[in-house]
Amino acid sequence: MASLRPVALAKTRLVPLAEPWTSLVPGGGLRRGSTVTVHARPGLGGLSVALSLLGEASAQGHWVAVVGVDDPGVVAMSDLGVDLRRVLFVPRPRGAWAEATADLLDGVDIVVLRPPSRCSHGAARKLMDRVRERGTVLIALTEPSAAWPLPVDLTLHLTASRWTMSSRLDARYVTLRVGGRGEAARRGEHVVMLPDVRGRAVAR
Amino acid sequence: MERLLALWLEPLCEERPDGSTLHDHLRLLDALASLCPFVEPVRLGLCVLPLRGPSRFFGGDEAVFAAVRALVRDVLDLDVSLGVGEGLFCAELAARQGVVVPAGASTQFRRQQPLAALGHKELTTTGKRLGLYRVGDFADLDPARVAERFSATVRVLHRVARGEIAELPGQRDTRLGARLRGARGEDAVGEEQTGFFGQRSAGDERAQAAAHRVRHRLGPDGVVVARLRGGRVPEDRATLTPWGSPVKELRDDAPWPGRLVGPSPITSLHQPVAVELRDASNEVVRMGARGSLSAAPTSLLLLRGSRRAISWFAGPWPQVERWWAAPRRRAHLQILLDGGEAMLLCAEAGRWWLVGIYD
Repeated sequence: MASLRPVALAKTRLVPLAEPWTSLVPGGGLRRGSTVTVHARPGLGGLSVALSLLGEASAQGHWVAVVGVDDPGVVAMSDLGVDLRRVLFVPRPRGAWAEATADLLDGVDIVVLRPPSRCSHGAARKLMDRVRERGTVLIALTEPSAAWPLPVDLTLHLTASRWTMSSRLDARYVTLRVGGRGEAARRGEHVVMLPDVRGRAVAR
Repeated sequence: MERLLALWLEPLCEERPDGSTLHDHLRLLDALASLCPFVEPVRLGLCVLPLRGPSRFFGGDEAVFAAVRALVRDVLDLDVSLGVGEGLFCAELAARQGVVVPAGASTQFRRQQPLAALGHKELTTTGKRLGLYRVGDFADLDPARVAERFSATVRVLHRVARGEIAELPGQRDTRLGARLRGARGEDAVGEEQTGFFGQRSAGDERAQAAAHRVRHRLGPDGVVVARLRGGRVPEDRATLTPWGSPVKELRDDAPWPGRLVGPSPITSLHQPVAVELRDASNEVVRMGARGSLSAAPTSLLLLRGSRRAISWFAGPWPQVERWWAAPRRRAHLQILLDGGEAMLLCAEAGRWWLVGIYD
């Protein structure tokens, strides 16, 4: 029995991702206790990237939370594979966003946070400590005017975004530079179709 | 109201003692999930799915019916009775009778049903004495008079008859989901997924406790949950309700893409923001009476004063009016700004609204 334990632990140390993210992210999943930033200019697809990362986990029974996203497009989330039954939204946390995020880090497996105001060193430090302590995952959605103040484990930097159109918007290609600590440091650039014509995230 | 495709499988209505009935349902539901992710087991022998999505995907209602029939035959070696109607009450009756009620005709269909369709013996006999033979006859009674004469149960049935409630009380077996979950557990030992059919796990409890704390911190509306309502075909079906409150009926007052195909915006404005569109000569772009634009829009003015150039647009797509709601004229337009941001606008009440951002 004892020999089985490490295997189980290794597996549960990752919160699951689906394609196309499994091949982009070191280890193929979100490591528990890690902080991820999704960095993008507003309106170019950063929110879709961050919420898409919740899809597989929620579908596999993990609870997730979304803090500071005022008007989540839940239809689009559902198309991205997010199981809405296990998503807690805190759309307008106002001044208490850091506290609300900390509360949620105790109870769910992934929190997506779009800080409504600039995140201070101290607040970021506290949240990242809590993430490590609780073995959860924090995905911070940041933009050029308000970068995350500390280095994190994994960064997805959206460097380009291009729509394809027919008689309507069909799909968008987003280019992501993957970086971070350790193995994540040299992951290079990837292009992901997000959303595709059916609203999903797929590898190009 | 959503058009539902109901599958009526009479041989599965009676539960066999060996547990095979539940397993048959699981096999059927798993197979149907390949056609539509929103299949719902209602009771033993009855399940429903929203028709619109699959119909769009398969290229028509008939194609969906054919696919479902073939699938049921493959999986269970049974002939299924299919029916389509708006709301669960009509959908089940339609399936038992094997009829497809055309879109918008469900009121008429419901009214033509014998009073016994409401499934209340006393009401049926009393109704006969009063000369009420059809659901429509009963529906026409003044609610105040019904309230005087009848019990609370019958008052609810009256609302069903009038189309105010889409399903009969007790039409759904609320324990079926949990029972199917249990049956699935026997099949898939060690499968960790929980909560799919409403069962609660330790993870669920933990999340609920966290939600409690946040609500305590931020107030009753601090934490919200999202649902896709009714038939749960995406468009028109999103609703956000405070966590812990009973799920409210969807209010039909926010502009929302109704017939838009392709990806949905990941930001969907709860309260649409008024915007202006201007053409190349800085004239205001309006929706014409015949569903076309007065000119091609070249810039977007947010009323805060900022102005953005539009590099491309598509639409407008006029909204098809829906029979159950007060007529609303709406049209949606997709625009792409020169910075690469895509947005969804809606024209209503003589002006443009920003309703979605494809962030």
